[in-house]
Amino acid sequence: MAAKKLQIALYWGAACGGCDVAVLDTNEFILDVAAVADVRFWPIAVDGKYADVEAMADGELDLALFDGAVRNSENEHVAKLLRAKSKVLVAFGSCAHMGGIPGLANLVTKDEILATAYLANASIEPGSQTIPHARSNVDGMTLEIPTFYRRVYRLSDVVDVDYFVPGCPPAPDQVKAVLLAVVKGELPQRGSVVGASERAVCDDCKRTKSEKKVRSFHRPFEVIQDSSKCLLEQGILCMGSATRSGCGVRCPNSNQGCRGCYGPLAGVSDQGAKFLSALASIVDSKDPKEIEQILDGLPDFTSFAYRFGLPASTLQRSYR
Amino acid sequence: MEEIKIGVFICNCGTNIAHHVDLDAVLEAAAAMPGVAVARSYRYMCSNPGQEMIARDIREQQLNRVVVAACSPRMHEKTFRGACRNGGLNPYLCEMANIREQCSWVHSDRLAATEKAKALTSAAIRRVWHHEPLESLTAEMCPATLVIGGGIAGLTAALELADAAHQVYLVERTAALGGNLARVDLTAPHLDSARDLLTERFTRVGENPWITLMLNSELQSLAGYVGNFAAVVRTKSDDDTVQERKIDVGNVVVATGYKEFNADRITHYGHGKLPNVVTSFEFEQMLRKGRIETRDGRLPQYVAIIHCVGSRNKEFHGYCSRVCCMTALKYAHELKSANPACYVSDIYVDMHAFGKGHEDFYKHTSEVKTLFLMFDKNERPVIRMADPSDDCEMLIEVNETLSRERIEIPADLVILMVGMEARADSGEVARLVNISQDKDGWFMESHPKLDPVATTTDGIYIAGTCAAPKDIPDTVAQARAAAARILGKIAKGKIEIDGVFAEVRDDRCSGCRMCNELCPYSAIEFHLDTKRSQVIPAACKACGACVAACPSGAIKGRHFTMEQLHAQIDGVLA
Amino acid sequence: MSFEPKIVGFLCNWCSYTGADLAGTSRIQYPPNIRVIRVMCSARIEPEFVLRALAAGADGVLICGCHPGDCHYSEGNYKAMRRYPLLKTLLKDYGVDDDRVRLEWVSASEGQRFADIVIDMTERVRALGPLRIKTDLQADAVER
Repeated sequence: MAAKKLQIALYWGAACGGCDVAVLDTNEFILDVAAVADVRFWPIAVDGKYADVEAMADGELDLALFDGAVRNSENEHVAKLLRAKSKVLVAFGSCAHMGGIPGLANLVTKDEILATAYLANASIEPGSQTIPHARSNVDGMTLEIPTFYRRVYRLSDVVDVDYFVPGCPPAPDQVKAVLLAVVKGELPQRGSVVGASERAVCDDCKRTKSEKKVRSFHRPFEVIQDSSKCLLEQGILCMGSATRSGCGVRCPNSNQGCRGCYGPLAGVSDQGAKFLSALASIVDSKDPKEIEQILDGLPDFTSFAYRFGLPASTLQRSYR
Repeated sequence: MEEIKIGVFICNCGTNIAHHVDLDAVLEAAAAMPGVAVARSYRYMCSNPGQEMIARDIREQQLNRVVVAACSPRMHEKTFRGACRNGGLNPYLCEMANIREQCSWVHSDRLAATEKAKALTSAAIRRVWHHEPLESLTAEMCPATLVIGGGIAGLTAALELADAAHQVYLVERTAALGGNLARVDLTAPHLDSARDLLTERFTRVGENPWITLMLNSELQSLAGYVGNFAAVVRTKSDDDTVQERKIDVGNVVVATGYKEFNADRITHYGHGKLPNVVTSFEFEQMLRKGRIETRDGRLPQYVAIIHCVGSRNKEFHGYCSRVCCMTALKYAHELKSANPACYVSDIYVDMHAFGKGHEDFYKHTSEVKTLFLMFDKNERPVIRMADPSDDCEMLIEVNETLSRERIEIPADLVILMVGMEARADSGEVARLVNISQDKDGWFMESHPKLDPVATTTDGIYIAGTCAAPKDIPDTVAQARAAAARILGKIAKGKIEIDGVFAEVRDDRCSGCRMCNELCPYSAIEFHLDTKRSQVIPAACKACGACVAACPSGAIKGRHFTMEQLHAQIDGVLA
Repeated sequence: MSFEPKIVGFLCNWCSYTGADLAGTSRIQYPPNIRVIRVMCSARIEPEFVLRALAAGADGVLICGCHPGDCHYSEGNYKAMRRYPLLKTLLKDYGVDDDRVRLEWVSASEGQRFADIVIDMTERVRALGPLRIKTDLQADAVER
């Protein structure tokens, strides 16, 4: 007797599409998935309307992968929809997990964003004052578009999430592993981070680690690095020590510092703050002026520390 | 998961707390909190009846957590931990809220003080929820000691320990004992014979069965921790063969001494060029031979002594070398004794006559008509060759501070009081035994005032000039102090390691190595085979630096865990 | 009724906490707005504690350690010193006023100094008004 096919859905909120591409990047594996699953909804790949999802029964979907952050009312609506219709809802990728790069928008206000996009930039017709509004009256009829929220949210801020798959995007191998786990029914405790290690990137990184004392920081292009030695020890920012492994160390292997996209380790509530604590501790100076001077070599530290996780941080957004 | 049952005990401290804080309100608020099984108020919680109350409640109410809202924990944490112990509860399952020193005694607004007392008590209740029972660890204490350095400091320490019938390994780099003191004739200010001082010790060392003397030997490696060190000492024989010996020791005394400043570095004093400009040690050689004479064998008519050569000057060393002033006065005295007609000029910056008998010695030296000339440490006297028509070999020009005149004095012999500096190999020694050096290379003590012979590495002691310039009385005192500390440890037999220390969770550590260099006690070791770091509980002082710095949260700071501190933060703001 | 700020203090056991106790034994009065949390060394204080305090309703946070060079654990306060500038950078980007988070060195004998710092900080934070992060985050919450 043929087993009933898994009913799955994939959706992108405030996203770049990279996570969806990551799923496609599993190459032939996707055909194996197609063999055991019906993709009922996946905007990038298959036809489907919200109405189709709305028509489903609660729990009709076995699995929904939601990537992208929640930036507007549409994202929230679909998040809630998929939550109701799915047995298992996965926050897929950094944006859904922690807010992702879109989350950096929490450092500015909605007004500043709209002004930059629609009023004060070189590609706007001079004098144009057109900004989008949620509700507009045109010729006596009302046009509604999704409301742009004042801030970015993680998926778990709006619905209960069963599993988190970190990464920007999650590595194809990890995507495979997660999908296989669902197919086999071998998922861990609800609320877990899956598809990632319980240790930091350093554990998998082949570079040698020794004495950690930094006297100056450099951008990767400013120095000729020794590709066998720890990047941080050479003054090149790398957040690997504060980031879950599982990505295959792809950035340090490409001679770039890890940017932290797999998020913090278990038990760490604020990745950026934890990394700050570690990084500052190894600054090799006891003189306050010298310390300031060394730390001044870090351009825009806040954005580095919270590149993927600002909405997940302790303070979540700016209070200006 | 056991049910948490907290007993909250609020101390009135007579009127000290009760007068300024509404303790009934604090009690009521505490009793209403989740997990609180009993809440009491009492006049003096630290008294015997008060402590008995806590112990009894623990037993009768099966309490597994205790909060005492009272004075500062710096006052009575031990007391209430003891009360818990008496009640059969692990002492670390107790937390105090400071509602006296930091509340009732400093706030006059009774309402506000009460609110604060409630908040502090609430925070303690929330924190104690997350406390865990902790046990002290014990480790063996090896009664043998390694003393590095056979100078006066090392000899003194070794003898002190051996006289108490404990094994000592005395390791000396050169072929002879005595160090720098063996190059000295008489000591200042009491003019004792250095040789006599030392010979007495050499004899006792030779005769003492508890001392294993290893000459021509150096420490190769030191592994382990206090009470349990494994040292490897390398000895070179006459025929240049090398032998390595492994020894087990419980403690180490580092007494490696100093080296003198190289006077050649101050080119305009002419040492190494002008034949009759000598250093203090070169003059000591003359004194020991019993012949004070110039290079061409004549008795010097005019002798000048210049202080602070290489010391108290930013160009070389900023510090004072401590012994040179009295030694200079000693030279003046000896020169005048040998030849009363000799003109002795003492060219100094300040006269550091700080010790016992020093001021008297200074007075005495001026009474024998030594000419004292003061110069500013940033403007050194200038030495030049005199004309053949002058009746001296050299002329020294001094910008004399007290008379405000430029004075020129004759000199047939110039003695440069060279300062002390850290030995060139001191960095190597520091690395081997895991101690730090200050900016001048001297070994760092645990606390300059409160703990001057211990270091931040438990079991490693420093004595004598390797820690900073000092004279013989201070050196001997330090050597004896180090020995006494070690004897105290040996007497205990075992080391008790406090149950509060950091722990690396092996299933979380990623081997990033952020932590290893942060520990001032070298208590976190990186293991190359497992690529993980591990804390040595005996060496850890629980400062929490590594806990805060671990980027993956893999280090748990016992008794100051993240959960406990978070609960406290939430509690004070609730 | 004027606004009463809530200030959380993280004090190291050997110097600043003892200094604060000394203010107590000397009966030096200061405003009751500060609530102190004791750690063994300022090196234990993580930036995340400061952020958590602000998010939990604190209007200001005071961090105290031993004077540089005097740390009971040799170098712990240098770690605190190194973390502070980056923490300040974060706070600036988060829009938290500069005067709300402060690092001070207080020795065991500086009871008066501790009191003076608390008096000064309480007034500065009072002038800035409530921080509102906690209420703002509550208002941000999306109904599930």
